[in-house]
Amino acid sequence: MRKYDYINALLSILVALVIGGIVVAFMGHNPMEAFVQLFNGAFIGKFNFGTTLEKFVPLLLAGLAFAVSSKISVFNVGVEGQLYLGAMATAWVGFTFSNLSKVVHVPLALLAGMLAGALFALIPAVLKVYFRVNEVLTTMLLNYVAQFLTSYLVNYPFSGGTGVAQSPPIYESATLSRILLPSRANTGLFIALGVLAIVYWLFYRTTVGYKLRSVGLNPDFTDYIGVNSKKVILGGMMLSGAIGGLAGAIEVMGIHLSFLDNFSSGIGFDGMLAALIARNNFGMVAIISFFIASLKSGALAMERYTGVPKSLIDAIIAVFILFATMEGLFQLRRRAKKEKEVDEHVG
Amino acid sequence: MDRIVEMKNIIKEFPGVKAVDGGQFDLKEGEIHALIGENGAGKSTMMKILYGLYTPDGGTITVKGQEYGGLTTKQAIDLGIGMVHQEFMLVEEMTVLENIILGFEPKKSGNRIDFKKAVEKIEYYIENYGLDIQLNKKVRDISVGEAQRVEIIKTLYRGADILILDEPTAVLTPQETEKLFEIFNNLREDNRSIIFISHKLNEIMEICDRITVMRHGKHVGTVNKEDTTIPEIAKMMVGREVFLNIRRKKPEVGEVLLSVKDVYVPGERELSKIKGISFELHRGEVLGIAGVDGNGQSEIVEAITGLREVEKGDIIFKGKSIKNLSPAQIRKLGISHIPEDRNRRGLNRPFTIRENLIADKFEDKEFSDWIVLNEKKIREFAEDLVEKFDIRPANIDLSAQNLSGGNAQKIVVAREIANEGDLLIASQPTRGVDIGSIESIRRVLNDLKKKGVGILLISADLEEILSLSDRIAVMYEGRITGVLDNEQATEENLGLLMTGGRIE
Repeated sequence: MRKYDYINALLSILVALVIGGIVVAFMGHNPMEAFVQLFNGAFIGKFNFGTTLEKFVPLLLAGLAFAVSSKISVFNVGVEGQLYLGAMATAWVGFTFSNLSKVVHVPLALLAGMLAGALFALIPAVLKVYFRVNEVLTTMLLNYVAQFLTSYLVNYPFSGGTGVAQSPPIYESATLSRILLPSRANTGLFIALGVLAIVYWLFYRTTVGYKLRSVGLNPDFTDYIGVNSKKVILGGMMLSGAIGGLAGAIEVMGIHLSFLDNFSSGIGFDGMLAALIARNNFGMVAIISFFIASLKSGALAMERYTGVPKSLIDAIIAVFILFATMEGLFQLRRRAKKEKEVDEHVG
Repeated sequence: MDRIVEMKNIIKEFPGVKAVDGGQFDLKEGEIHALIGENGAGKSTMMKILYGLYTPDGGTITVKGQEYGGLTTKQAIDLGIGMVHQEFMLVEEMTVLENIILGFEPKKSGNRIDFKKAVEKIEYYIENYGLDIQLNKKVRDISVGEAQRVEIIKTLYRGADILILDEPTAVLTPQETEKLFEIFNNLREDNRSIIFISHKLNEIMEICDRITVMRHGKHVGTVNKEDTTIPEIAKMMVGREVFLNIRRKKPEVGEVLLSVKDVYVPGERELSKIKGISFELHRGEVLGIAGVDGNGQSEIVEAITGLREVEKGDIIFKGKSIKNLSPAQIRKLGISHIPEDRNRRGLNRPFTIRENLIADKFEDKEFSDWIVLNEKKIREFAEDLVEKFDIRPANIDLSAQNLSGGNAQKIVVAREIANEGDLLIASQPTRGVDIGSIESIRRVLNDLKKKGVGILLISADLEEILSLSDRIAVMYEGRITGVLDNEQATEENLGLLMTGGRIE
C-alpha cells in the first residue's frame, strides 16, 4: 500500500508537469526550455539548490505539524499562527539575551519557539476537548490573532526602529550557520530532517505514538483501554504546535535574522497542502514539500530566462494537487467498496 | 405448492474468496423457509443476489417461472421480492407513515401526496396481519419491535409477496418474537412466502417449514422441519458435533468480589438511566444480567469500569470503593472488560492484531522500556495468544478489520483474559459471532469461572444467559426487576421480568 502511494505521487507530478508544458506551449514558449530552466533554477548551482532547501525546511516542518495533528484526528489549520508566535518568541530570546554562548543561545531560542507554538496550539485543543468547539474554526481565527499580535509587537514595543516593520536583529550567538552560501540555506535543514526522523520514530516505535495513533483512529477504544483520550489529544496538539513553532524559529534564526512583519505569507498553509497530498504519511510529506519547494525556487529562474511568468508554477502546483487528491478519491472509493464487501461478506 | 423462487448453482466471488460456491435455494409459495449457516457461510450473499444487490458470477435464478442470470434491485422489487435488513432502513425524523410510503407515494392532482389513500392501503395490512403500528409517531420515538413491523409493512406496501428477513429476532424480546411469529403465520396463511435468516435454531424449529443449511459458501442440505432435530442442524452448520450448552457445575461460591450498592447512573439523555441498582457477585460465580437492550445494561457496565460517572451509591471491589476511578485504575485492580460493541470500543479496527492484543499492556515494563516499545516481546506475546485462542488468519501484522466477527471477538476475549483479573465483565460476548466461536468463547468463560474468577455476564441472548449463569438478574428500565437462581429461571419467567412484569 505504501509503495503504491509513492508511485502515485510520482505519476501525479509527471501529469502535472505535462499539463503545465502544454500550457507553456500554448503561450508560445518552448516547454522543454522552460522546464530545463526550471530544473536549473531549482538544482544547478549552490545558490539555486540552496534556495530550494531554504524553502523546503519550513514547508516540511509545517507539513509535519499538520500531519501530526491529523493523525490524532484534529484538523490544525492554525500552523500558520503557531509559526508566527514561535518565530516571535525565538526572535525575542534572540535579541534580548546578549552575552550567551552559541551552545546555549541556539537551543534556548529554538525551545522558546517550540514552547510558544505548543502553548498557542493548546488553546484550540482545550476548547475542542473540554468544550467541543470546532478546532477548524478556532485555529483559523487564532491565525489572525497571531498575525496581528506579532505585527503590533514589531511595530511598537519590539520595533527595530528601521523603516521596515521588524524586530531588532537577533544576536549572532542565536543564528543558525549558513550552508551553501550565497543562498540562505542553513543548518535548520538538519534540524528539520531530525524532526522528521524523531516524529516517525515517536509514532511507530513508542508508547507515546501508540496512544496518539490510537486516539486518532478510535477515541472510544483509547478510553476503554485506560488511556485518557482527552489528555492524549492535548499532548498531540502541543506536539503539532511545537513543530509549527519550530518552523517559525528556524525562519528567524536562519533566514531573516529578525522577526519580519508578515514574513510567512502562507508557509503554514502550503505545509498543510503538502500534508494533505501526502495523506499524512510522514515520508511522503517530505517528498511533496521538496517538490513544491523546487518548483517555487525554480520558477524565478524560469521567468528570468524564458519569459514564462512564474505564476504559472502556482498553476502547476494547483494541477498537481488536483491530481494527487483526485487519485486519493479513487483510492478512498476503492477502499470503501472493498471494506463494504468484506463487511457484508462477513455479515 | 409451486416453487416461486429457484436459485441454482450460484457462484459469487469476492477478491480472494468464493463467498458462494454452488449455492442452491428454492422457495415454495406460502412457506416459511429458513436459511442458516455460520457467519461467512454465504447466506447473506445468497439473499443479496436474490434481492439484486449483487450480481452472481454464475448460476441461474428463476422467479415465478422466469429465468434470470442476475437481477437488479428494481427487477427484484417488481417481481415482488422485499427485504428487511438487519439494520433498519428508516428515516428517524420522519413519521411511520411517511417512511412507509417514501418513494412510492400515491399522488392526487397537483402532484400532492394522497395521504388518505396511503393510510387506507396500510390499514389493510395492519388489520389483516396483526402488524400493530402507530402511523403518526416519528420513527425515533418507537420501539425496535415496532420499527421492525414498520419495515415489514413497507415491503408489503411495495407489493412484496416474497419477504426476506435477515436475523429479525436478534433485537427482540421473547414476547416480541412471539408476536412476530404470529405475523409470519398470518402472512403464510395469505400465501405469502418468507425467507428467514437466523442463528437461533429453536426459533427456526418453531416457525419454519423447511430449512436450508449453508457452510463455507456451499449448500449443505435442505430438510423438512419434521424430519430433523436441532442437534442435527447444528451439526450440518458446523460440520461436527457442537456443544453449546456448557456443562455448568454449581459453583463453590467464594467471598464477595463485587458489590454494587444502590447505584444511580446518568444516561445520554435521561438524568438517571440507572435508578438504584444493587447486587453482589462472588468469586467463582457467573452472574447473568438479562434484559432487552437499552434498559441500562450498558450504563451499569460503564459505571463499574469507570467509563461513565456514578451519580449516587457505591461500587465496592475486593473491599475497596472503585466508584468514579479512572478506567486505567480499575483495570489495574483486576477488572477485565469485554465491551458490548467490539467495533466501537473493543477493537481499534485499523490497528493490527498485535497492536490490539497489547492495547492494555503496552506500557507495562514487560513490553516497553521508558517509551520505547519492545517489539520482540510484543510479537512473542501476540503470537502466543493468537495460537492459544485460534485467531484466524494467524498473522499478527494483519489489520483487525480484515477479520471475521468471530475472530475479531476472539482478539478482545484473548486480550481481556490474558489480564488474569479477578473479575471479568463480559458484555454480549458472542454477539454477531459464528457458532464455532460461540462454543469456544463460552467454554473459555466457563473455565475461567472454575479458576475462581467472578464473571458478570450481560447478554440479550437468553439461551446464553441460561447456559452460563449461576444466578440471573433481570434489568428493566434501569432497575433490577428480579434475581433468579438458574434452576428457577426459564425463558418465560425471564421474558416476563424483562418486560416489566412480576413473578408471584
